[in-house]
Amino acid sequence: MKRLIVFLIILGTFALTAHAQTETLIRNATVLTVTQGTLQNTDVLMRNGKIAAIGKNLKASANARVIDATGKYVMPGIIDCHSHSMLDTINEGTLSVTSMVRTRDVLNTTDVDLYRELAGGVTTLNLLHGSANPIGGLNTVVKIKYGRPASEFLFPGAMPGIKFALGENVKQSSRPNLPGVPRRYPSTRMGVEETIRDAFVRARDYKRTWDEYREAVKKDKNLVPPRRDLQLEPLVEILEGKRYVHAHCYIASEILMLINIADEFGFKIKTFQHVLEGYKVAKEIAAHGAGASIFADSWGYKIEAYDAIPYNAAILTRAGVVVSMNSDSDERARRLNIEAAKAMHWGDLTEEQALKLVTLNPAIQLGIQERVGSLEVGKDADLAIWNGHPFSVYSRVDTTFIDGDIYFDREKDLAQRAALAKERATLEQAEPNKPPARGQSPQTPRRRPSGHEDDAEVEKP
Amino acid sequence: MNSIQRHFSRNGATAQRENITLRRGAVAGEKYVKILLTLILCAGSVLAQQIGNPTMQQGVLPPRGTFAIRNARIVTVSGPDIENGTVVIRDGKIEAVGTNVSVPAGAQMIDGHGLSVYPGMIDAGTNMGLVEVPQGANGTVDLSEVGEFNPNAKAISAVNPHSAHIGVTRVEGITNTLTAPTGGLISGQAALINLLGTSPKEMAVVPQAALVINYPRIGFGGGGFGGGFQQPANLAETLTANERQVEQIRKMLRDAEAYGRAQDAYAKDKSLPRPDRNVVLEPLVPYVRGEQPVIFRADREAEIRGAIRFADEMKLKAIILGGNDASKVASLLKEKNVPVILTGIFSLPSREDDAYDSLYENAAKLQQAGVRFCISTGDAGPEVRNLAQYAGMAAAFGLSKADAVKSVTLYPAQILNVADRLGSIEVGKMANLVVTDGDLLEVRTRIKYLLIDGRPVVLTSRHTELNDAFKNRK
Amino acid sequence: MGIWLPMPKVRSRLLVATLLLLLVVNPLNAQRSAIDTYAITNARIVTVSGPVIERGTVVIRNGLIVAAGANASPPPDARVIDGTGLTVYPGLIDSYTNLALPEAAPGPSPGGGGGGGFFLLQQQQARPPSGPNSTQPAGLQPEVMVEDVIRPGGNEIESWRSAGVTTALTLPRSGIWMGQSALINLSGDTPQQMIVRSPVAMHVGFTPLRTGAYPGSLMGVFSTLRQMMLDAQRYRDAMQSYERNPRGTRRPDTDRSLAALIPVVDGRMPVVMVANSEREITRALDLASEFKLKLIIAGGQEAEKVAERLAKQDVPVLLSLNLPRRTTAALPEADPEPLRVLRERVEAQQTAGKLAKAGVRFAFESGSMTNASDLLSNANKTIESGLQPLDALRAFTIWPAEILGVKDQLGSIEVGKIANLTVTRGDLFERNSRITHVFIDGRPIDVRPAAPGGPPQGRNSLAGMWTVVINLGQGDRTISLTLQQEGERVTGSISGPLGAGEISNGSASNTGEVRFTVSVNVEGQTKEATFTGNLANNQIRGNVTIVGAAPGTFTATRPN
Repeated sequence: MKRLIVFLIILGTFALTAHAQTETLIRNATVLTVTQGTLQNTDVLMRNGKIAAIGKNLKASANARVIDATGKYVMPGIIDCHSHSMLDTINEGTLSVTSMVRTRDVLNTTDVDLYRELAGGVTTLNLLHGSANPIGGLNTVVKIKYGRPASEFLFPGAMPGIKFALGENVKQSSRPNLPGVPRRYPSTRMGVEETIRDAFVRARDYKRTWDEYREAVKKDKNLVPPRRDLQLEPLVEILEGKRYVHAHCYIASEILMLINIADEFGFKIKTFQHVLEGYKVAKEIAAHGAGASIFADSWGYKIEAYDAIPYNAAILTRAGVVVSMNSDSDERARRLNIEAAKAMHWGDLTEEQALKLVTLNPAIQLGIQERVGSLEVGKDADLAIWNGHPFSVYSRVDTTFIDGDIYFDREKDLAQRAALAKERATLEQAEPNKPPARGQSPQTPRRRPSGHEDDAEVEKP
Repeated sequence: MNSIQRHFSRNGATAQRENITLRRGAVAGEKYVKILLTLILCAGSVLAQQIGNPTMQQGVLPPRGTFAIRNARIVTVSGPDIENGTVVIRDGKIEAVGTNVSVPAGAQMIDGHGLSVYPGMIDAGTNMGLVEVPQGANGTVDLSEVGEFNPNAKAISAVNPHSAHIGVTRVEGITNTLTAPTGGLISGQAALINLLGTSPKEMAVVPQAALVINYPRIGFGGGGFGGGFQQPANLAETLTANERQVEQIRKMLRDAEAYGRAQDAYAKDKSLPRPDRNVVLEPLVPYVRGEQPVIFRADREAEIRGAIRFADEMKLKAIILGGNDASKVASLLKEKNVPVILTGIFSLPSREDDAYDSLYENAAKLQQAGVRFCISTGDAGPEVRNLAQYAGMAAAFGLSKADAVKSVTLYPAQILNVADRLGSIEVGKMANLVVTDGDLLEVRTRIKYLLIDGRPVVLTSRHTELNDAFKNRK
Repeated sequence: MGIWLPMPKVRSRLLVATLLLLLVVNPLNAQRSAIDTYAITNARIVTVSGPVIERGTVVIRNGLIVAAGANASPPPDARVIDGTGLTVYPGLIDSYTNLALPEAAPGPSPGGGGGGGFFLLQQQQARPPSGPNSTQPAGLQPEVMVEDVIRPGGNEIESWRSAGVTTALTLPRSGIWMGQSALINLSGDTPQQMIVRSPVAMHVGFTPLRTGAYPGSLMGVFSTLRQMMLDAQRYRDAMQSYERNPRGTRRPDTDRSLAALIPVVDGRMPVVMVANSEREITRALDLASEFKLKLIIAGGQEAEKVAERLAKQDVPVLLSLNLPRRTTAALPEADPEPLRVLRERVEAQQTAGKLAKAGVRFAFESGSMTNASDLLSNANKTIESGLQPLDALRAFTIWPAEILGVKDQLGSIEVGKIANLTVTRGDLFERNSRITHVFIDGRPIDVRPAAPGGPPQGRNSLAGMWTVVINLGQGDRTISLTLQQEGERVTGSISGPLGAGEISNGSASNTGEVRFTVSVNVEGQTKEATFTGNLANNQIRGNVTIVGAAPGTFTATRPN
């Protein structure tokens, strides 16, 4: 009985604090603002989902939640610019151009890895289509509001984006030639270029057709409009600068190829993703104005990754490119803090430059820098409290906030474990959960995929 | 410059056979220009080059020197740290450690002011040197041999001393790896190597260090078309298939034991009928006699228990490789004194309801339960250089910092039976040492000096070279 | 004169009347027998539309209910059924089935080249029916109408109506645009006689085609649906524009698929979307909002989590009674089931009650249940978990009638409605009640007793993991035996102290006799053993003979 009461108290406190609290004061922490340096012994006040104040000896209202963060660090929530979490499916791989498909249609908010990412201080994800095609599907930028409905995850005001992909995955170079099974075009980097060029030529014609229609219909209301083509509309948006292109690529030649196409059609690539040979063409990337979203030190897993070096972030940063560190992996997403620190080890970036790699820079790359990416008054209260400097391997997250609400708290997590075990014991006795006398064999459990989800050929389990 | 001109007069394809060796003590500028020119012309024919060459290969093993690292903080690992101490290295061994040691004449002095000296790190769960590029360059993949039973597949024979992975790994302070083959039921024999040497023989510390057995496991998948298809999806069928496989392993080990006895008997008494030699059974003999360790790959609780029971039954000296569920089997591991090489620190917990830190805190739990363990990346090559981070994460979740350092130095040495030679800074041990400007496990720390077998290791690699080539491109 | 003859004037009128009567009564086909008037007397009548009549009579004639009440009396031409102790309900409606469809075309047998997972799914999926000359591939043809392929009779229909179901919504088994459903009575000699209403609705499933063609993923499915609906809107506008003024305009290509979607995008024909989890239902609601569709959800296992939105958007739910339950045996090596799954199974039983409280309209459906008798027993579970019994009855009768557009014809016992009745001894939802009579279109059908509860016979009765205790005269040895059964053929393997290996020559008769041979290691030698036994009460007992050794006995048991 006593345990039940304790459990109910914990549950009640959690329920109360999880959502009702509109004001939280974090006291006496080392605050890594990202844009205004590191502030010692400083308070952060969050109210109504925003950062209300940053300073010393702040005052909060009587019913505010107060957290003593002496000896702790506060950092903006980490933004992962390349994620495939919470998607029921990653690739529509049947066609070379699938700009009509949308990750927004397949969001799965019950993905437990979201919680594990919150435990690593991540608050925002760029959910991308996979790398099965030169032109892939539309992305979704989300805040990891684990436990809330999908509509509340959508990041308000984030620029719409789309995934492009170049290189080995798109050429399907690792698939064997099966007799009687035709290969999908393109199977060389030459064909990749032509696929993209053809798509934009069609998009341009489509745009003209519609522009002409909009003029003509002013005079004749009865004109039937041209057919709406969901595949070409996002490409028109790219041409009009209304949709960001995030292009997965590896080697120097294809990076330059895509820059040429973008110049030819008059649009900008917003980010190159992975771009492991970016350091070889840093000046061209900088001149074009594209950002780079990269791995810290992953290399060698396929031919196009063989020349990757962990100095990539430093070389690109110094060339003036906005660089972010990404995960492309639910596993790596949990430790992006250390991935950012690696740029200090390899390449001698400063702490501030390295911090930006997982905060302000990915925010800029996603068009959300007005709201997140640094700790400034007026920005969204998306942040994490760490028990040590986030760049130390010995540190871990205590609490993660999004819009001022707690979405991960280590103490609460530990406290809940016993209750969950009890719940399991009870549920396993319920009638529909009892194993039948003569049942099928359970499935063989699957091992978790690792590393680079862009390269996974099979759908996530 | 003559060697360069001669090089470029041949076509690119044959040029790959030529290594551009640098004379020691070459003028810095000349060296830079040579590298730059080579790289500019080789950039286009990178793939034409034999995979595995760093742009600069080391064809000469640096000789053992006499060194003294002075005024440094010495993290001996086996005992308390020594502030402001000196380490003397001679003839490949640690000759002296302490605050007041005499330095031999002619020793090269290394000023350790503000620096720390650690034993070189050891990763006991890799395939280092057996694969260069796993996807798209099958010619460089020598991980797993055809067939279920390959005890005579020796990793040391296929390790590529010039693999780019070796260079990029040692410059982060890892001096030794256990390189294991994979595949089948009995994969082969793993080799403990120094990450320095121009031939496998020069690298080998223990060429046949352990037998590797893939204890039949459940759990398939992990991405990729090839993996999931052969396994039955039905757990009951999988378990039955697994039991059959265990039976096969048992049979082969018993055959090896009988073979060993027969050979010994004949050696003593030539009047007995001469038994034929058998290349497959012969290597198994020391392992079935418990003289050498047998590594069992096992992650799930049932598999670990099964492996321990099997090893117990067959009287093998077992080591578990993997061990994700090891903390659930802690008492059995302790009772049977079976150590665990933990490779899953950075794996995602496989079950939906597993606590988010269940794999991070595995090491700490084993330490509390008194189970012997060490920490490994479990990687084939490119990721091994991050070994320190794995140990650091374990320390973030309950393992003490000192134990975290031990888990990548002394503990793996002990588990692999080479604690007399490696794993700590003690007189008489091999001079595998890392000098850092801070905490070895922290990512922001720099490696300043590296010694393997008392030989100085230049802190360059394929990655530093590519960095140098492109960082100033305007 | 002895013979009475009417006067000539009367005679001619009588002649005309007789002729007319003959015409009216003259059967149009062989089915109509002379007696089609029935009366069930002295029964409890649950009309659903009004208060319960504790003791009354229902009269049906010519397929319709002509009287129902305490004061109704059986007409002289009626066959009377004594309803004492019986309860008369409106015939039950199953709102989502594949009844009356021809057998699914079997795919190539699994385990060939492809192995598990992905390819297995592709091979096992029934191919959707295909319309002639369609611009779209099979599975994307909204013009397909199930009324074109239904067939009367068959075992499934027999077992469904013996379970009290008189009417079912039926539709094709698969596809993305699965086709247009029909509401059928589960009796009749021809497909036409079965149809109550067709088409009822357009149906959408969200499983990609897996033929390798687009769409191959769930994302592609949504985009395909979206694009085709946009194309249908444009097709409608283009066709209207052309018809208004064909001169001078190039005629648009006709497209039967797009034409079939026009009533859907115009909001005149409802669309039923399969959706069980919260996110599936939310996605369906979002798509319906986007195109202003008249949405109905089928499945709805987690509908109560979205109840507010369903009520607000006035979206009814065809709620599956195929309540989830654990089907896998307990195996210590298996991973524990996720908490989420354990919770879902328990919560699924509460969905109906919560929907009712939230004011969401719903109707019950069997949702690919294989045992028709589970329909009522699972409805019982929802009652135990909070649904009012009267609402449960409504969900089988008047609510589906309203949702599926036949409220003037079915769903209650009222004069003028189709005479579909389910008669029970005992309350419909009571565990021990029995269905005594079922009337469809005013005619009684043969009620076959339900098969005894439990797993289906024959096919899989030997499957599973057995623990076998063998006695060969020197004490007991215990081994494991895993069996699979496919009709008469038995396969499997043994493992344990006698060795591991596959069995051969395995067979099973339908009287439970089992036989197989297998190699065993006995006393250091490999020998062949033959096992012959009999299956009874979840045990196999029998003899084992080993070549060159004395015979022994064995007992095999399975975990309970």
